[in-house]
Amino acid sequence: MPSLRVRRGAVALLALAVVYLIAAQVGRGRLPDRIWMGAHYVENVQLLPTWHSLAEEGAFLLESGILLDSVLVSSGRVFIGLLLGSLAGIVLGLLTGWGTRVESLADPWVTLFRFTPALALLPLYVVWFGYGEASKVLLIATNVAVITLLGAHHGVRAVPRVYLDAAASLGASRWLRFRKIVLPASFPSIFNSVRVAAGLAWVTIVVAELIDARMPSLGYLLALSGAYPRVPTMLIGIATVGALVLVFDLLALLLHARATRWMGRAG
Amino acid sequence: MTANASPPLLEALDVSYTYSGLTPTRALEDLSLEVKENEFLAVLGPVGCGKTTLLRIFAGFLRPTKGSVRCAGSSIDGPGWQRGYVLQEQAIFPWMTVRENLEFGLLAKGVAPAARRAVSDQFLGLIGLSEFESAFPKELSTGMSKMVEVARVLATDPALLLLDEPFGALDAQTRARMQDALAGLWERRRKTVLFVTHDVEEALYLADRIVVLSPRPGKVKAHFAVDLPRPRSVETRFSTGFLAVKRKVWEATGPGP
Ligand SMILES: Nc1ncnc2c1ncn2[C@@H]1O[C@H](COP(=O)(O)OP(=O)(O)OP(=O)(O)O)[C@@H](O)[C@H]1O
Ligand SMILES: [Mg+2]
Repeated sequence: MPSLRVRRGAVALLALAVVYLIAAQVGRGRLPDRIWMGAHYVENVQLLPTWHSLAEEGAFLLESGILLDSVLVSSGRVFIGLLLGSLAGIVLGLLTGWGTRVESLADPWVTLFRFTPALALLPLYVVWFGYGEASKVLLIATNVAVITLLGAHHGVRAVPRVYLDAAASLGASRWLRFRKIVLPASFPSIFNSVRVAAGLAWVTIVVAELIDARMPSLGYLLALSGAYPRVPTMLIGIATVGALVLVFDLLALLLHARATRWMGRAG
Repeated sequence: MTANASPPLLEALDVSYTYSGLTPTRALEDLSLEVKENEFLAVLGPVGCGKTTLLRIFAGFLRPTKGSVRCAGSSIDGPGWQRGYVLQEQAIFPWMTVRENLEFGLLAKGVAPAARRAVSDQFLGLIGLSEFESAFPKELSTGMSKMVEVARVLATDPALLLLDEPFGALDAQTRARMQDALAGLWERRRKTVLFVTHDVEEALYLADRIVVLSPRPGKVKAHFAVDLPRPRSVETRFSTGFLAVKRKVWEATGPGP
């Protein structure tokens, strides 16, 4: 029941906001307003900004167009990276899962992938693909591909033997079994991995946008606000990324409910 | 009887099967069996005696470790629609509607959509599920699902039907209804059937002949002809002829040499 989920989510978010605002109000004047940054002091830091300064900062980010532009640019990168990475990962995972009959042939290779720290590929990608869009998008795509490859591979491996046997007994060719049995049966697993990967893509973008960092970009906005430091900007940046992940996830859930009407409990 | 003259459609000759593994399991040992054309043969045997193993050999999923199996005169290598196989487990495809399930074998055969529809219409009527044509299996009861599985196999018009305890998980009433439905289907379009069960009464009610297997490793322990008139009904179940054979089979299935 998505509507119930949405309502519960909204209530949880609202509760979080209220708790924060109360904490900020209580902390006002009690929290230190100067912190040691390792080399120097930063004055007038707001550890827990009040709703007033948050509103002020939000208004500035909106009016200047910084926030909207950043959201558009970063979402674009995440979307393309997610698309490319999912495509590559799912195709490869289906191939390794269905193409190799002997489990031991593909699995060590797939396990190796699981432990690849794809985020750490950043310097390598800069060298390989330069400072432009390509390295950012490809870094996201790689991270997404690792997750979706595993999802598709294990999804295919987990297709219950009985369905494959029944289909073979009904005369289905290997290709028909792949299309009509393996794909739908592994869909839930593949879909879940894309959902997880979408969340990870938003984590990756923050790192990826440190390559040739420039505005507009949510990743660089966060990095900048951390360097100053400007806590209100940080909080707004974090909340924005959170909201975008939520929107992506809701869209994904809608798609999921449509595609899996056959399952006992959709979503 | 003319049955003796016709060659067997399906035969197993001295078949043994051992599951390899850390502790190898001998499931079948020197089992020989014949099923004649248009015969309804029931295979009775205790739990774990190798009934499913035997069916999976006939279906083409397992190769006997010793001995040979033949269908219509040629050896069996690999699964195929000519030997329709209904698994012991629930194997209706949950992501397909009832109609799509029924049409799957025809799709595999490359039958055109209109012709597929005609056949699925017919079977929807036969199993009385016309109003469920576009329902997903989650909306069906276990018994209804099993009937769809049987019809799904029949829709491809196989020469032989291999049924593995299709009504094993049902209550007595539903079971009786399903048996009548199956018997009806069988009487209308004669097929060779190999029906596995561990229910003596079910075997008697449906079959022309019963083969009793011994406990693991399974081999043929006894044969019985069931010469009861068809169509059979509730009356059959309480007739003296039925009860007499039932007693004999019952004694054969019990412990003993
Ligand atoms: N995949 C397998 N690997 C190893 N042993 C197996 C396997 N499948 C079955 N066996 C063993 O082979 C024997 C026969 O199994 P089978 O499934 O053929 O029995 P069955 O007569 O169908 O039993 P049931 O009435 O419970 O369905 C059993 O002892 C079982 O433990
Ligand atoms: Mg069995």
